Amino acid sequence: MRIKSILTVDDDDNDLFICAYTIRKFDPEITTLTATNGAEALAVLRTTTPDAIILDINMPVMNGFEFLEHYAREFSVHAPVVAMLTSSHLNADREKAMGYYFVKSYFEKPLTLTNLRLMAGLLGLPPERPLTPPGSAP
Amino acid sequence: MEAFSLRYEHFWKVAAHSIGWVCIVIGGAVLLAWWLRPEALALSMPMVYAMKFNTALCFVAIGFAFNLAVINGRQAAVALALSAFTGSIAVANLLQHMFAIDFGIDRLLHEPFITIGTDSPGRMTPNAAVCLALVSAAIILTAVMRRNSVARVILGLIVFVIAGSALLGYAIGVESSRNWRPLAQMPLHTAFCFSLLGSGLIFIGARERGYPRSTIAAALGALTYLLLVLLAYMEMLSQDTKLSELLQASGANPRSTLLGIVLLSGALYAGMIIYGFRSAQKYRDVASQLRESEKRLAAIIETAVDGFITIDDRGTVIAVNPACEKIFGYRTAEILQKNVKMLMPAPYRAAHDQYLETYKATRRAGIIGVGREVEGRRKDGSVFPLDLSVAKVELDNQVIYSGIVRDISERKKYEKDLLEANAELEEFSYRTSHDLRSPIASSLGLLSIARDMIETNATEELKPVLGRIETSFRKLDHLIQNIISLTRTKAMEETESRIPIAHVVRETLDRLYYMENAGRLRIDIAIDDDLTILRKASRFQIIIDNLLSNAIKYQDPAKADPEIRIGAAIDDGNLVLTVADNGLGVEPGSEHLLFQMFKRLHPQHSFGSGLGLYILKKSVEQLGGTVSYNRLQEGSLFTVTLPERNHHAH
Repeated sequence: MRIKSILTVDDDDNDLFICAYTIRKFDPEITTLTATNGAEALAVLRTTTPDAIILDINMPVMNGFEFLEHYAREFSVHAPVVAMLTSSHLNADREKAMGYYFVKSYFEKPLTLTNLRLMAGLLGLPPERPLTPPGSAP
Repeated sequence: MEAFSLRYEHFWKVAAHSIGWVCIVIGGAVLLAWWLRPEALALSMPMVYAMKFNTALCFVAIGFAFNLAVINGRQAAVALALSAFTGSIAVANLLQHMFAIDFGIDRLLHEPFITIGTDSPGRMTPNAAVCLALVSAAIILTAVMRRNSVARVILGLIVFVIAGSALLGYAIGVESSRNWRPLAQMPLHTAFCFSLLGSGLIFIGARERGYPRSTIAAALGALTYLLLVLLAYMEMLSQDTKLSELLQASGANPRSTLLGIVLLSGALYAGMIIYGFRSAQKYRDVASQLRESEKRLAAIIETAVDGFITIDDRGTVIAVNPACEKIFGYRTAEILQKNVKMLMPAPYRAAHDQYLETYKATRRAGIIGVGREVEGRRKDGSVFPLDLSVAKVELDNQVIYSGIVRDISERKKYEKDLLEANAELEEFSYRTSHDLRSPIASSLGLLSIARDMIETNATEELKPVLGRIETSFRKLDHLIQNIISLTRTKAMEETESRIPIAHVVRETLDRLYYMENAGRLRIDIAIDDDLTILRKASRFQIIIDNLLSNAIKYQDPAKADPEIRIGAAIDDGNLVLTVADNGLGVEPGSEHLLFQMFKRLHPQHSFGSGLGLYILKKSVEQLGGTVSYNRLQEGSLFTVTLPERNHHAH
């Protein structure tokens, strides 16, 4: 399966830039959509369904968790999501994000090419198979 | 035990009070008999007239004197007069007996129609006169000294022994006790009255003097016994010949037989006296120990900080300690005999009767023996948390419940404060660990992009990436500065000074002029140049910095005429500082997040650390004030209120 479009959600301009650059490096064919908070992301998702969502958790107005809740409740079709965590040491954040079936994995910032390769691999798998998040082993 | 001791005390009191009245009644009855001269009485019971008119009169007088001086300790003058009267009659009588003279007092007041047991008609017997003189002397002594004394006890002792031996003589029928002329002769009712008066003189007021009642009683018993033995011996001597004849016929030695009986009875009597004395002493020790332990317990309960409430099985308050007054705001009298429900707020109040009923019916204890946190209600209606533990006390004829209450509102408040502080600290550490790493993670990502660009010779794209790295580090620096100022807000030691407000505001604006778009703003300052406030200057500076930099930062770039209006004035003893703008404002519904830690509310302006308004709020609270936010039609209004303290206590 080939990824055609990715929605990146982050309030930090630099992080959005890093995502866009890394995705272009990974596959220049991929269309990158952007949103600066959860509310904007929901607005984008109402018009189009991307192949994947890269989601920041700490954002003003509507943060990543609030977004996931709205997304689960208000949408019937869910694009696979990977969460971007500032630090994977915050257990509560990790578990909370992974509680949604459409959240496939989480990565620690900043986004790298390796992360994207892993993500592409994950998306090829059937969604009901339990996934071992990369980086969970020390 | 206590109840028994109380009954015992009560008996003693009644007995003591009746002594005087018994003398008055007996004396009065005899007086009446002398006056009315009922013939039938004189024929059937001539013994009544063995008490002479004068003696009867003296008993009435001495009875009143005894009541006044010994029992009540009042009207010493009347008691003195009465006992002086009886005393002089007694002494006169004795003189008559001793020197065989006649003062004429025997028939002065009343001409006797009958003569029994005396040489001269109407004359008091000598031993009665001695007793009367001694009792009178003892009462005079008491009226003067106003308390019991050793002399009085001795006088009472002599009276008791004389009268008591006469009584004993009647009881056992020893002739010489009555007929041992002239000293031992005394009529039964006279002997009875004198033995009462004697014992009253000995025992009343014994406790105040601190001598042991039981010891005196034992001594009296022994003395009376000796007297009895003496009388028995004299009786035996007088009947010696008759007895010898009688007993020798049966072959026994009468003296040794009698001696054996006397000694045996004496040993038995002594044993009983010792036993009685020992048990009385033991009772006294136990009673005094009990009193002492009661006192000790009472002292603890009286001074306890915790409230002690005792109720009966219907919920009626039987006893409370002083701490309850403080805890509930009622006076003790307002709680006693009321239902304990009055100290409970709504849900408990209605359910309490049911608790008691259920417990009585099922013995299923809700709170008894466990203790729990409930709510109490003060007199002013305020409700407060309290720790309650209840114990059931089963008495002989009823069940009572004893509750200990402790006002824990203070503790609860500290608990809440502590939990809040802890939660805030946890939030702080979570957010700092996130927000501190965030710009570093970005920088690392940007650096690896920069390296990639250099490797692919895309150097013309490098410059904006470096710019991004720089903003990322500036963000980190800004956050660290904020954290430093926050910890300074919490820990700084600083003395207060008079702060010129208008000056500080202008200086701060000059400093902030280099912020992005600061030059676009129209700034209006309405502050009296003379306005000052006494506060810690650096904290006040933090407040001004935050208010003004926020107003500049969150201006609306779309507006052509952005402005800030700054005002300060004294209003009702408070310095009220206002900063209004026509900027972006705060989304409706998110006002409650404004002053919280790490809340950023503006989507497009991610350069804030999320700490600014939190620092503002903490600083204002440190200075004893409050800060509030109001939405304006366009923009925001922040109001800081600081109470003015001219006479500062620090």
